[in-house]
Amino acid sequence: MSTNRENFQEFFSSTSGKLGSILLVIFILISVFVVFTYPLNFGNTIWSNPSYWSDYPKSAPPTWVSIFGNENVEHQIIDFTAPVDVIPISNQEQRLYSYTLNYDSNISPTFLSLSMYDVVYHDRPPTISVSILRPDNEEILIYRDIISSPRQGEEGPYVRYSDSPFRINLSGDKSVSSNLIEFVQDKSNSQISVNDIVGSNEKYIFSSFSSTNPQEVLHGEYKILIKFVVNNENDSISKIRFVLGGSSYGLLGTDSLGRNLSVGLLFGFPIALLIGLTTSTITTTIGTSMGIISGYTGGRTDTIIQRFADTLSNIPLLPILLFLIFIFGPQLWLVMTILVLFGWPGLTIIIRSMVLQINSSQSIEAAKSLGASKWRIMYRHIFPQLAPFIFAQLVFFTPAAILAEASLSFLGLGDPSIPTWGQILENGFRTGGVYIGYWWWILPPGLLIVITAMIFVFIALALEPVVNPKLKKM
Amino acid sequence: MSLLQTLIVRGLSLIVVLITVLFLSVIVLGATGYSDRLLTATVSEELRGLRQSLSQNIRDPAELEQVIEDRREQLIEFYGLDRPWYYRLPDMVFRILTLDLGEARTLRSFTGSNRVSDIVLERLPNTVLLITSATIITSIIGLYVGVKIATRVGSRLERSVSYFSAISYALPAWWLGIIFIILFAFQLRILPSSGMYSVPPPTEPFALFLDKLVHAILPVFTLVIVSVGSWSYAVRTMVLNISQEDFVNVARAKGLPENLVMRRHIIRVAAPPIVTSLILGLTGSLGGAILTETVFGWPGMGRLYYEAILAADESVIVALTFMFTLLYVTARFILEILYVVLDPRVRYK
Repeated sequence: MSTNRENFQEFFSSTSGKLGSILLVIFILISVFVVFTYPLNFGNTIWSNPSYWSDYPKSAPPTWVSIFGNENVEHQIIDFTAPVDVIPISNQEQRLYSYTLNYDSNISPTFLSLSMYDVVYHDRPPTISVSILRPDNEEILIYRDIISSPRQGEEGPYVRYSDSPFRINLSGDKSVSSNLIEFVQDKSNSQISVNDIVGSNEKYIFSSFSSTNPQEVLHGEYKILIKFVVNNENDSISKIRFVLGGSSYGLLGTDSLGRNLSVGLLFGFPIALLIGLTTSTITTTIGTSMGIISGYTGGRTDTIIQRFADTLSNIPLLPILLFLIFIFGPQLWLVMTILVLFGWPGLTIIIRSMVLQINSSQSIEAAKSLGASKWRIMYRHIFPQLAPFIFAQLVFFTPAAILAEASLSFLGLGDPSIPTWGQILENGFRTGGVYIGYWWWILPPGLLIVITAMIFVFIALALEPVVNPKLKKM
Repeated sequence: MSLLQTLIVRGLSLIVVLITVLFLSVIVLGATGYSDRLLTATVSEELRGLRQSLSQNIRDPAELEQVIEDRREQLIEFYGLDRPWYYRLPDMVFRILTLDLGEARTLRSFTGSNRVSDIVLERLPNTVLLITSATIITSIIGLYVGVKIATRVGSRLERSVSYFSAISYALPAWWLGIIFIILFAFQLRILPSSGMYSVPPPTEPFALFLDKLVHAILPVFTLVIVSVGSWSYAVRTMVLNISQEDFVNVARAKGLPENLVMRRHIIRVAAPPIVTSLILGLTGSLGGAILTETVFGWPGMGRLYYEAILAADESVIVALTFMFTLLYVTARFILEILYVVLDPRVRYK
C-alpha cells in the first residue's frame, strides 16, 4: 500500500493536479477577501438596490476596451466638500465651489448628474445653482434649485437629504433644457425647442456647434461652478457630487442598472465555493454512511435503503428541482437541500457494492472474531479502505452542485438576496445582452462558473491514479 | 427468467419512479395549499361559464344566484374541496396523469388554446426531436471515437479526448449555447440565432423542412458537444477493460484479424455497460435540453418551462414536471429493452 507522501507526490506530479490546486488556492484567497470586506447583506442592501448604482454609467463596457480604438470617455465623479471662496452678500453668504477639467474626448459624457448630501439650514432654505464655463468663455447656467422649505410645524435646524442624497439627472431634466435653450438656439442658429434637447442636455453643453459635424465636441478647459447661497453662516452641506457619465467603467463594465459587474462577480466567489463544497460534503457523508450501513448490515435495512436509493436516483433532477424551488420559493439553502436529497443515492449504490467486496476479506473476519462491534468495524475497518475513493467522489460532486445552482439561477429561480454568477448571467440574457452585444455582461460570469467547475474536475482527474492504482499501468 | 419477465420487472421499477414523482409533487402541492388554489380557480372558472349560459334563460337574479350556488356546492364536493387535501391525493394523481390541469393563466398554445394539455402536448414532439437527434449523434460519434482511442492509449488523440471530456463536464450547456449564438449567429452570421422556423416560415414543405433543419443545427450541436466527450471516454474505458480479458487474447492468438476481434469479441461484450452509461447520461441530457431550448428559443417543453416560470403559471409547471419524468421513464425503458437484447446473460440467468 502506498503511503500518504507518495500519494501527494503522485497527485502533484500531474499537470491537472498542479493547475487545479493553484487555481483553488487563488479562489479561496479571493473568497476570504470578499468575506472580510463585503457586508453580510450585500445582496439586499447593495446589489439589488438601484439607488446605490444611480451614479454609475448604464451598460458600459470595461475601460480597457478603448485600447482597441473605441472612442471612450472617462467616468468622472467630482465631489465638492469645501468651498474655494466664501463671498458675503448683504445678509447672505455665497459659497463657491469650482472644479476645472480638461476635456479632450471626442464624445460627450453619457450623462450628467448632481447629488446633494446632508443639508442643514436654520432660517430660510439655501439655494444652489450650477453653471459651466466652457472653453469658448460662454458661461451657461444649467441648474438652479431651492432646498425644500420647512414643513408646517417643523422646528429648526432643518435637516434635508440625510437618509438618502438628493439626486437629479441633469441630462434628462426639463428645467435644465429650458435653461439651455436660449444658448443652444443662439449657437446653432436654429429654432430648436426644449423638447428636442431634453434627454440629451449633456451633448449640447459639450458641443462645439460645428456646422459640418453636429456631434463634434468642444475640447479644452471646462469649469464647473457651483454656488450654494445660505442665509445663516451655520447652514451646511456635507457634500455635493457632480458626475460626468463615462462610456466605459472599471475592469468588467456595468450592467443595464449601472451595477459594477466586477463587484457582483467578486461576491460570487465565496458563494460558489460554499454551494459546491457544502453540498458535496453533506452528500458524500450521507451517501457513504448509507452505503456502508446498507452493505455491511444487509437484511431488511439493506433492502429498504437500496429500494429507496434506486427510486430517488432514477428521478430526473432538473425538472424536479425546478418544480420544488418554484413551489417553495427561491432560497439558496433549499436548493442545496434538494441537491443533497437527490444526490446521495447514487453514491450509496456504489459504496454498497464496494462494501460487499470488503466484507468477505480476512481483515474484517479477523476484526469480527476479535469481538469488535458492528459500528467499530464499519468505522475503523471498512471506512478507511474506502476513504480515498470517497474523497475523490466529494471533489467530483462539487462542480455538479455549482453547475446545478447556476442552471437554476439561469432559469430565473435564483435566490434574489444572494447574487450568484448564474443570476448575473441570467440578468444579461433576459435583458437581451446576447442580441445587443453586451459581451462583458455574458462572458465573465459564465467563464467563472466554468473555471470553478474545472478546478474540481482537474483535481478529481489528478486524484484518479491515486484512488484507482490500476489505472497507472495504462 | 424469461425475456418478458425481465422487461416486466424493469418496467415496474420505472413505474414506481413515476408514481413516486407523482406523489411527491401532489404532496408538495397539497401541503403548500397550492392544490386548493388550483381547484378553487377551476370551480370559479366553471361557474363563470355557467353564469354566462344561464343568464340567457333565467331572468330572475335571485333564482340565478340560487342555481349557481347549488352548482358551486356540487362542484366543491365533486373536487373534494370540502375535505383536507390528503383525501384528494388519488384524484389529484389521476388528474395529473391525464394532464387534466385546467387552464393556463397566461400561456397559450400556438393555436391559441389555453388548456394546459394542449400547450404541453404541442411542444412535446419538438423536445423529443431535439433530444433524440442529439442522443443518436452523440452515441454514434462517441462509439466511433471511443473505440478508436481505446486502441491507441497514450496517443495525442487519446489524451486530448480525455481532457475534452473533463472540460465538457464543467461546461454548462446553456453557456456554451450563448457562446455559439454570439459566434455563429452574430459574428459569422451563418446560422439563425433562435427559434425553429424563419419569420415568416417558408410555405413549401421541403423548404420548411430545410428551414427547421438549419434552426436545429446549433441546439443539437450544443447538446452533442456537451455530452460527446464524457461519452467517448466512457466507451474507451469499457472497451479497454474488456480488451485486457483472456478471451480477447485467445482470439488474437488464434490469428483473427484485429477488426474482427474488436467487433465480435470486444464491442459485443462492451455493449451492455455502454448502454448502461447511456441510461445514466439520460437525466443529464434531459436537463441539458431544458436549458438549451431556453437559450435557443426552441419551442419545446424546456423553453415552455422557462416561460412558465417567468409567467408564474403553476398548472403548466406541474404538467411539465410530470411530462419530463414521463419522457425520462419512457426513454429509459427503451434503453432497458436494448440492454436486455444486447446482453444474453440477462435473459438466460
